[in-house]
Amino acid sequence: MNSLGRITATLQGKPADRTPVIAQVFGHAATACGVDLGVYLRDGAVLARCQIEALHRYGYDAVFALMDTSVETEAAGSVLKYTARDYPTVRSYALANPDDLDQLAVPDPLRTGRMPELLKAARLLRKEVGGGTLVVGCVLGPLTITTQLMGMQNALYLAVDEPDRFGEILDYATEVAREFGNAQLDAGVHLPVVFDPSASPAVIPPSFFREFELPRLKSLFDGSKARGSAANWLHIAGPAAPILPFYPEAGVDIANFDYPVSAVEAKAALPATCLDGNITPLSFVEADPAGIAREAHRLLDQFAGRGRFILSSGCEIPPESRPENIEAMVRAAQSRAQDRE
Amino acid sequence: MGTHSMDLLIEALVEGDRARSVTEAGRMIAAGVARERIVTEGLEVAMKRLESKCTLEQFNLLEIMVAGRAVMEVMSHVYPEGSWPASTKGTVVIATLEGDVHDLGKNILRMILVSGGYRVVDCGKDCPVHVLVETAKQEDARAVCVSGLITSLIPLVRRVKGSLRGAGLGDVPVIAGGAALKMASAASLNVDVVCDSAFDAVNWLDTTGGGQV
Repeated sequence: MNSLGRITATLQGKPADRTPVIAQVFGHAATACGVDLGVYLRDGAVLARCQIEALHRYGYDAVFALMDTSVETEAAGSVLKYTARDYPTVRSYALANPDDLDQLAVPDPLRTGRMPELLKAARLLRKEVGGGTLVVGCVLGPLTITTQLMGMQNALYLAVDEPDRFGEILDYATEVAREFGNAQLDAGVHLPVVFDPSASPAVIPPSFFREFELPRLKSLFDGSKARGSAANWLHIAGPAAPILPFYPEAGVDIANFDYPVSAVEAKAALPATCLDGNITPLSFVEADPAGIAREAHRLLDQFAGRGRFILSSGCEIPPESRPENIEAMVRAAQSRAQDRE
Repeated sequence: MGTHSMDLLIEALVEGDRARSVTEAGRMIAAGVARERIVTEGLEVAMKRLESKCTLEQFNLLEIMVAGRAVMEVMSHVYPEGSWPASTKGTVVIATLEGDVHDLGKNILRMILVSGGYRVVDCGKDCPVHVLVETAKQEDARAVCVSGLITSLIPLVRRVKGSLRGAGLGDVPVIAGGAALKMASAASLNVDVVCDSAFDAVNWLDTTGGGQV
């Protein structure tokens, strides 16, 4: 059974040869290959090569055509600051003044900013490894695009002071995500994960999520499925337990749960949904392989018999992580396959 | 004018209603209520109530930010620029360290510290460790707080305590917080405490943070 078959079976609640393991290796792929992050994030061919090398090195079940949380805002007109070793940050926001929304066009993913490079990475990954391995793209969720267009503080104050205007910006952001996601599907990703850290209950109350974000996520996921996405994967980091019950309404097929959410909470909130998580990301930097293996086996035990589980980190595995810790997580999943033989 | 007006002010602050908060505070000032009472029985009580609410219903940035904004506006109204009362609890120096430009958490901490009675010196974002230490020395800091959203910041955080010691400030406690730093232990970060929220930082300072100045 190859990675794609393993994940497909797991999603459908059918038996697989072992639990899939998806290391959320994004910028770490550059670090592992000795490439500057600043290069990796701007060159789709380099990104694809590093992802493939990391896949071969670690042997997990998915690769990512994913850059950072500034791709969409840069394409919309924000100016970024790049460095060799860190993710870029926004130097000036495209929508510093919310009244400028009318002047903002939805970026054309084939022509704007780094979007074409990400699409190039998607095409290369699909061609090179996509026959047997899940190729995952990425779009930011509407709320995160909005906070990246305006700055978090300005966006949240606007949400309170002018909710209607804020809603219009969210609608724009939803279209940005839809166009970018569709282009990624056309380029060959099996699915684009929707990454929405600003929608975390650490940032907004659950009632705000339900009112502002949920209907837009549902619209985004409905469109993505219609375009051929293999599954709707939602990734909201942090203490997301209070909003997990809304996920089925949004159409979520795979729900990421981060380390502040326990496996017990996640299973109780989403009994029929495939879950992925939740080893503490920093432990890939700070812990040792024995510690990672313990955590991985604890999770595998907790999901034994349930299925619909992908062993993973709670969020991104930091670029500076120790490779032997990622190997330990992958080995833990693989060892359970040997147990079944 | 007394308890009822104070209750209205507290309610408006917790809801983050700036206009209503300033109006209620203005009414009390006009009626001769002492400014100190507005702070201690109004603003500080409101922040305590918000803290309880956030503990029960999850801490989230949005509610803290809008309430904090209302508190700061009332403070500016009660004490027009430059006339804020001297802090009785001492000075806290805060920063987001070099390499991290996410300063929202730090800004919230500033609001919570100010409303908790501390004087705050904000070194801003992307702040080198030596600037933080020099500022702590100049300002006779009672504590230093560092906030971080990215894990690559951790090696810098580990250096803060030693740099303070090198400047003769070994007894100044270091408080860490923020999404990335919260994943680590105080020992691994070489700090005195890692706080889950800005409220926790203020509580730690109020209770165990090196005693009273």
